[in-house]
Amino acid sequence: MRTLAVAEATLREIARRRSVLVLLLVIPLAFYLARRGTEWWQGLRFMVMGVGWAMSTAALFAGNGARAIEPRLRISGYAARHLWLGQLLALWTVGAAVSVPYWVLVRVDLPQVRSGAMALILALTVLIAAPFGLGISALLPRELEGMLVLLTVLAMQTVLAPEARAGQALPFWFAREIGVYAVESDAGADHLTKGLTHAAVAAVILLAAVAVLSGLRLRRRRHLRLSAA
Amino acid sequence: MTAEEWLGRLTTELHRRGVAPDAVVAEAAHHLRESGQAPERVFGPPAAYAAAVAESLLGPGVEPPGWVRPAAAGEEPGVEPPGAVRLEARGITKRYAHRTVLDGVDLTVRAGEVVAVVGANGCGKSTLLRICAGLTSPDAGEVHVRGRLGYCPQEGGTVERLTPDEHFVLIGAGRGTDRATARRQGRTAAAVLDWPGVDRSPVAGKLSGGTRQKLNLIMSGLGDPDVLLLDEPYQGFDKGSYLDFWQQVWRWRTERKAVVVVTHLLSELNRVDNVLELGR
Amino acid sequence: MDRDRRAQWLRGVLDLCVLGALSGGESYGYQIAQRLEAGGLGPIAGGTLYPTLLRLEKIGLIRADWRGGEGGPARKYYRLSDTGAETLASASAEWAGFAGVVKTFLEVATP
Repeated sequence: MRTLAVAEATLREIARRRSVLVLLLVIPLAFYLARRGTEWWQGLRFMVMGVGWAMSTAALFAGNGARAIEPRLRISGYAARHLWLGQLLALWTVGAAVSVPYWVLVRVDLPQVRSGAMALILALTVLIAAPFGLGISALLPRELEGMLVLLTVLAMQTVLAPEARAGQALPFWFAREIGVYAVESDAGADHLTKGLTHAAVAAVILLAAVAVLSGLRLRRRRHLRLSAA
Repeated sequence: MTAEEWLGRLTTELHRRGVAPDAVVAEAAHHLRESGQAPERVFGPPAAYAAAVAESLLGPGVEPPGWVRPAAAGEEPGVEPPGAVRLEARGITKRYAHRTVLDGVDLTVRAGEVVAVVGANGCGKSTLLRICAGLTSPDAGEVHVRGRLGYCPQEGGTVERLTPDEHFVLIGAGRGTDRATARRQGRTAAAVLDWPGVDRSPVAGKLSGGTRQKLNLIMSGLGDPDVLLLDEPYQGFDKGSYLDFWQQVWRWRTERKAVVVVTHLLSELNRVDNVLELGR
Repeated sequence: MDRDRRAQWLRGVLDLCVLGALSGGESYGYQIAQRLEAGGLGPIAGGTLYPTLLRLEKIGLIRADWRGGEGGPARKYYRLSDTGAETLASASAEWAGFAGVVKTFLEVATP
């Protein structure tokens, strides 16, 4: 199937990007270890943001890497949806694989954290990061500018106080909300609900953006009429 | 090199130039046997000798197989006339800022026809091809393509971190070809362009410019398209591969495909069916 | 003698000399080269001779056919055609005239 063919090619391509793999595996761990001990809940937060940022970067690079070949893939019989859906599937697969060791780490190292909520946070982060990175790639075809945007978002997520309303405009705000539920044993379930809602809205917006931007860029042009031989 | 090697290379080089090699090679072999001298001393490098022979037999330029020469006494044309229209572009107009790059251009290509698009740099050759491929929209005009389309850009068009085999499978999946067939088609096409061992090749990013372009060219022909749009795809080819490329173009012509080649090298123009000159 | 100049002269007349070499009777490539060398033209490279033979054959001044050697592989034998013989005859006269004119110029140059 065409979508799976794209997913397979994207997986192979990511697997050969050593810098991205290092980012994915090392950065979140480094963030976590930086705060381990005293402010372990900060370390947890930074780790999750690290996963989000690394995944977004992987998605950015995957989107840019495919740019050169997308026009001829269209000519060869692919529809736009095969392309972005296939890329997302590959990215989600990578994200899921990378998240498992982190989930295990937290479960073993910080047993007081609600592991179910933790799994939810990681899963949602991966879910959102992939279309976020692909969307940036669609808007900003040069990697440097895309990276700048990602870094800015990451910085904003870190810097903004949790109560600031502006924070909700950022794609990974949900992680902090659900994080409260995961970390504080007496936290109410409303954090969970708010986080889930935000994640759902963010997911819908980002997926729609990717679909629309890709569809636009690879649209069938009206001046060309194709018929059977 | 030994006489056998030299004669083998001569056979290849004669093929590339459209000369039936057997008689020429036999005569050369005979001469070498009688004289007992080294082939390079007597004839020079195989490519140079093949070129001299081809020029003597065919005149300057390269002859495609099955070419319809003006009928001499008793000679019969060997190729069918071109068939149904496969690509029809009408009134293509494109403006960039204040410059009109294409002004009402028409292009018709039939099955079994090769059309060359020529013109100075910047006169819109690539743009015309991109419009026919559906990658850019014109300001006016229509394009009608009957059958499958194949397109080869001047450069780019490959993924740095995928191997050639992986490219073949990817394009094949789009055309509905299974993996094994797609790989086989790709490898066969590579062998024809003097690129054996493509299955053991590193990723596209590690290939030389010319080899990467060979990959580009092969990809455009995968899945048996009916119309081929080639934008000077021979960048970085050495002379031998450049000749192989034209042999492949004429092979496609024999297979009743419609081929459009953007080129600014004029020596092959008397071997195409039609020439569209832009910028006049 | 200046090799380049001699090569230039030879380029101008090689095809006629080949016709002349065949006027003595049909021959094949290597034998023609030997005839030319024995006649004083020096060694003629196969890379020069065979394209010349192909050109002469193409314009019909010589004809060729393949003949099985006695117990050996087939050889391509060349012979003068009627047109070739006519061309050789008229070229011979023209060359005599041309060479005479050139000779005059070259004699004047010597003090």
